[in-house]
Amino acid sequence: MGNKKTIVIRVEISTLLGPNGKINPKKMDRLAMVITNLHNSGKHVLVVSSGAIVLGAEKLKLHNLPDNLVDLQATAAVGQAELIRCYQKYFDDYNQIIAQVLLTSDIIEYPQRVENTRNTFNTLLDMSIIPIINENDPVSTSDIEYDDNYPLARIVAGIARAEFIVIKMDLNGKYLIVPAGNYTAQVVDGETELQEKIDSFCESSAKGETTGNMNFPASIGDIVFNN
Amino acid sequence: MNYREVLKYKRRIVVKIGTSSLSYANGRMNFHSIAKLAYVLSAIRRQGTQVILVSSGAIGVGAGRLGLTKRPQELARKQALAAVGQAELMKIYQKFFEEYNQIVAQVLLTKDVVEIPTRNQHAQSTLIKLIEKDIIPIINENDTIATNEIEFGDNDTLSAIVASLVEADLLVMLSDIDGLYNVDPRSDTHAEMIHSVLEITPELEQLASGAGSSFSTGGMITKISAAKICLKQGIDCLITSGSDPAILFDILTGNEVGTHFVAQKENSIHHA
Repeated sequence: MGNKKTIVIRVEISTLLGPNGKINPKKMDRLAMVITNLHNSGKHVLVVSSGAIVLGAEKLKLHNLPDNLVDLQATAAVGQAELIRCYQKYFDDYNQIIAQVLLTSDIIEYPQRVENTRNTFNTLLDMSIIPIINENDPVSTSDIEYDDNYPLARIVAGIARAEFIVIKMDLNGKYLIVPAGNYTAQVVDGETELQEKIDSFCESSAKGETTGNMNFPASIGDIVFNN
Repeated sequence: MNYREVLKYKRRIVVKIGTSSLSYANGRMNFHSIAKLAYVLSAIRRQGTQVILVSSGAIGVGAGRLGLTKRPQELARKQALAAVGQAELMKIYQKFFEEYNQIVAQVLLTKDVVEIPTRNQHAQSTLIKLIEKDIIPIINENDTIATNEIEFGDNDTLSAIVASLVEADLLVMLSDIDGLYNVDPRSDTHAEMIHSVLEITPELEQLASGAGSSFSTGGMITKISAAKICLKQGIDCLITSGSDPAILFDILTGNEVGTHFVAQKENSIHHA
């Protein structure tokens, strides 16, 4: 991956929905722009996004989200295809190619799979492609936790050896960045400042001022919020 | 006895389509084929038959998307192209199936689906749930995380595993191979297609491994081993050409196309 800094961006589907519960085109467009811009500024960017179940339920015209595992899995199988299509459409506007990667959280128990996935990530990033990652719900054996993809973001950060996770993008200007080895989230206001903050982190980390520790807090609950 | 008669009553079928049936020889997508496939499968589903599609093509589509003229050899690059191409391939399927108001779902499997019992059950119950809701699942190998490129062997084997997983009545493998011949049809103009196979004998396997019958990725050998998996489970299996997906209508009306591997009768209908 050379000297490029690697950032994992965690997207909760709820931040992309409008009041009607559907994908809000403006928010989606903004997200694609911010992420592509981070990528253009010379960072390796990986996106972990939830949303398969919400979009699947919409496609299937369900009034409520399913309440049992198998229905959730079936809904996710329909919705993941919709979700990735949606990402493609908005990233196309910024001429950015994306890829779909589906993982199950137990991947960490299989070193060979971790290695392959890391190789795939590296190859994609070297080819200037942004991976959009989600849990492979239809075959997942663990309970599906709707919209809580922080554990997956943490796994992805570990596999990709990322320096930061952006844990929250509410697209109203507030972003939370967690640097590796650090339990303190930096609150950032606005896209320009997000970009600057990440740039300055990258510089200090390049000078060896940060620990280089790839560990991230186990859950969002462990993160201390600054400001 | 007309073995084809039984194919009229198949109610849960798995259709496997190879890259060669989805793209032109230059590697570019053949939208006519895909549109026709979407039409045929939607129509079959509407007639009350549950359908699962196993589709190859992700790497080729990914290469096209990135403007590459050659398929890469290196595994990591193939996996990267598959990650790009699978998303694109699903988009294309969605587009064409939407024209027939048919909802599709994407299910990506790895070999541990068969090896880890709990994962096996989850995949099975998800697939059955989808087909019961009249959704057509589109299945491919989850190339990105696969530990090597031939985990399943190829999608022929994957399709047989899926057919077993959902207890299908029939697996149809569409490719550039229109059937199994008694001699190599390219060297012998008198070659005749074998229309019905009741048992896969060593002689038959010998025939399949002969030169001239391995020109697609999987070749005839992997198709025979997929057929073996099916027969063991009492699932009928059929190999034919995918150049016109409407051939599926012929198959399901009992017409004598392709090579039919006939399952033992008592097992052959699971979902009458």
